[in-house]
Amino acid sequence: MSALIEIENLSVTFRQRGREVRAVRDVSFSVAARESFGLVGESGSGKSTILRAICGMAPVSGGSIRIGGAPAATGRAFAARVQMVFQDPYSSLHPRRTVDATLAEPLAIHGRGDRDARVLAALGDVGLDASFRFRYPHQLSGGQRQRVAIARALMLEPEILLLDEPTSALDASVQAEALNLLSRLRVERGLTFLMVSHDLAVIDHMCDAVAVMRDGAVVERLDRATLADGGAQEPYTRQLLAASAYAAPV
Amino acid sequence: MSGAQTKPFSRAWLLDPAPASRGQARLGQAYLGWLKLARNPLAVIGLAIVVALVAMAAAAPLLATHDPLAQSLQTRLLPPLSPGHWLGTDEFGRDIWSRLVYGARVTLYIVALVTVTAPVFGLLVGVVAGYFGGWVDTLLMRLTDIFLAFPRLILALAFVAALGPGIGNAVLAIALTAWPPYARVARAETLTVRGADYIAAVRLQGAGSGRILLSHVAPMCVPSVIVRVTLDMAGIILTAAGLGFLGLGAQPPLPEWGLMISSGRKFLFEQWWVATMPGLAIFIVSLGFNLLGDGLRDVLDPRSASK
Repeated sequence: MSALIEIENLSVTFRQRGREVRAVRDVSFSVAARESFGLVGESGSGKSTILRAICGMAPVSGGSIRIGGAPAATGRAFAARVQMVFQDPYSSLHPRRTVDATLAEPLAIHGRGDRDARVLAALGDVGLDASFRFRYPHQLSGGQRQRVAIARALMLEPEILLLDEPTSALDASVQAEALNLLSRLRVERGLTFLMVSHDLAVIDHMCDAVAVMRDGAVVERLDRATLADGGAQEPYTRQLLAASAYAAPV
Repeated sequence: MSGAQTKPFSRAWLLDPAPASRGQARLGQAYLGWLKLARNPLAVIGLAIVVALVAMAAAAPLLATHDPLAQSLQTRLLPPLSPGHWLGTDEFGRDIWSRLVYGARVTLYIVALVTVTAPVFGLLVGVVAGYFGGWVDTLLMRLTDIFLAFPRLILALAFVAALGPGIGNAVLAIALTAWPPYARVARAETLTVRGADYIAAVRLQGAGSGRILLSHVAPMCVPSVIVRVTLDMAGIILTAAGLGFLGLGAQPPLPEWGLMISSGRKFLFEQWWVATMPGLAIFIVSLGFNLLGDGLRDVLDPRSASK
């Protein structure tokens, strides 16, 4: 079994009041276990929609999504394998629940015991000390919130983490910290990442391979070496590279 | 951790940004809310009135100077400030002050029963309609519209007429007519919340609809509903009094304020105090709930609290 995530000819079509928008058109790619795969493109290119489609939150109109050989589903068994970190840590944590309640919830849903120890361990894993445990989200900074969101995604010990621009809402220094945290956790736990970003510098830092998307379709696929050598073929990819070179002169 | 050094239940302990336990975090939040409420003098007055009502109902046997039901035809229709009857007596010689004090119990009973039925039912209907959308939403909301389309008192009258007069049936009738606004409020709140990432996150964790609705969506709607309830409380008391006045709510000789006004109506010009005293009581309590509701809106509104 080589590929953990297999996406074949995936199409997503949003229908509203008779209008149809094809957000994703015939996209195919696969991600091997323990690989980190990036989806990059401008906003509206359908990259986040693919993540949502994997989680059953977008209307799939064609193609297939397979996780470990089985079609993607929803429900508890799927939740224990695939988790997601959302883009905006300000809206992804319940404003009226403490960090403790947020982290203990997945354990309660799955009927797993020993919650106190697990919550404390999870906080430690993302570099937050125990004093954060009973805080409310409004008592945390953006970076701390995203750490909590990452901890929550890891509570069920999934194999696959879907990252929807996990750092774009954070400022530059916090961004680097969060990315290093994610890289460390991936190595420690043998996670498979599917990461969406519009920032090629972030993708370059995090991913082994990348698919460039535009208007809902994959324009080009590159591996890390090619990306580093500037071996991109498509003019659109070159344009994107040039744009992010100005933004992040590394 | 600063939580270890500060004395439990002290101000610093409550305002500790890094609470050491679930209870401390919850109390800290409550204390912050209280500080916010205390900054609004009108809300504090409202709260004082409501607390006074509760205290009055609890301590009725101590506060009352007479048996609220004891009749004495020698001392009927005494004016206020008469010896032994500082608010006067009614047409059967019953002490008005004592009847008001015991009437607080009836009022509180009505208020309590309505608040545990109508808002809960309305919240449930609204949250389910808003979350599931589609035909569930259409069905539930059209039903809500039908109830909303009737004038409240008329509908309550119809229910009481069908169920028979009595305080229990009056409460039931009020609750049956009071839930639609809560359903509307809860549905509106649910619509803004259901697409949020934190709801998507619990769904991704494999949570069932029941868990999502009860422990994630409903808590976001509760503050608006609570505010709405306190603002409606005046209306509920008035409707109960209105039913009592029309003889469809509390039955004599129960000291219910609306009923007292109704019986005082016959002497309104000569013995004005018989109807005026319970009228003032209704006015003050309604005002208290309204002021408290206004203050609570500032404290509980999720938008103002999320900063």
